[in-house]
Amino acid sequence: MVGGRVAGCGRERAMMIRRSFSRDWAALAVSLGLAAVFIYAGIDKIRAPLQFADSIFAFAILPAAFINLLALGLPPFEVVCGLLLIGRPTRRIAALATTIITVMFFAALASALLRGLTLDCGCFGSGTPSRSRMWVEAGLDVVLFGASLFVYLRSIPRSRWQEP
Amino acid sequence: MYSLRAATLIGVGLAPTMLVALAGAITLARAPRAQRGASRLLRDLVGFALVALASLAVGLMLNRNSSRPLPMVYQTPEQRFDAELTAVIDAPPFKVAPAATVGLGEFRSAVDNKDTLILDARPSAFFQRGHVPGALNLARDEFAHDYRDLSPRLKAFADKQIIVYCSGGECHDSRLVANALLSLGFGNVRIFTGGWDAWSAAGLPAAAGSAP
Repeated sequence: MVGGRVAGCGRERAMMIRRSFSRDWAALAVSLGLAAVFIYAGIDKIRAPLQFADSIFAFAILPAAFINLLALGLPPFEVVCGLLLIGRPTRRIAALATTIITVMFFAALASALLRGLTLDCGCFGSGTPSRSRMWVEAGLDVVLFGASLFVYLRSIPRSRWQEP
Repeated sequence: MYSLRAATLIGVGLAPTMLVALAGAITLARAPRAQRGASRLLRDLVGFALVALASLAVGLMLNRNSSRPLPMVYQTPEQRFDAELTAVIDAPPFKVAPAATVGLGEFRSAVDNKDTLILDARPSAFFQRGHVPGALNLARDEFAHDYRDLSPRLKAFADKQIIVYCSGGECHDSRLVANALLSLGFGNVRIFTGGWDAWSAAGLPAAAGSAP
């Protein structure tokens, strides 16, 4: 009776470990995709900070005193988040960070669309202002938000065997 | 206007953080077992803030070592251009009537006849990727530098037609450069509003690299 219970616990534990491994693979794959997107977007903006500052100005949200600070701080932040998404111990913080910033990006884009602005969001380098591109980029933000939230929730330890 | 902007800024910047903090507080209040989760979320938010501060420090350092650092307070393209133009003519820009515009057909015949000076007002990186054949790069964001370089060739066209273009759509570079040239005494300056977008969309020939 006791032996059966012990064997049952062993099977349950093995199943949970197997599940946690498959969860790890899914989270790793999505993290690598997110990391590639954020590193690419960050490097592109680091190379042209002035164009990115002009893109932020076009949103007509921030006062002039904050525009260059954001234009200088956000691109390295995206690159750092991308790098932190690759490592397992740092993935959770990076995923929370990308979740928060994608919400901010979406809010800014949605506000510009609602105000009837036509602009180049500067999300992936500078280009021609276009409303159709703004809609596409807002959609991409939703996808990135979903992926970030998925990685964050998957990175939270679920059982005592996963606790660090 | 600024209060509206400030309200939007607060909404965009603080709302997500407040939502996460609220979710954390609710989780904490709901069950004592969730305290561990709430403290984890708090740790993650602290980590987020530290990463953000470190990234800002890196960005400021990169800017300090850059060949063209950004000033701490943002200047609009018009303000930067006024400064560039002032560097050329050593006086504030004059106010002139806006330059006339041309359509794709007229622009194309001017390019084919080679009797018009075609100027590309986009940044040099865009010019090098692709431009109208025969065009010279008088970039709006490098106006003083490019104007000095092109000065002999521009002076040869002082009484002839000059057409300026930029990306197209709502780009302002061609308008600013055209008006600056009118201010500098060039009599016949016009703008091709369709710009590079209309030219390339029509499948017309393109050149790449620096101008000869």
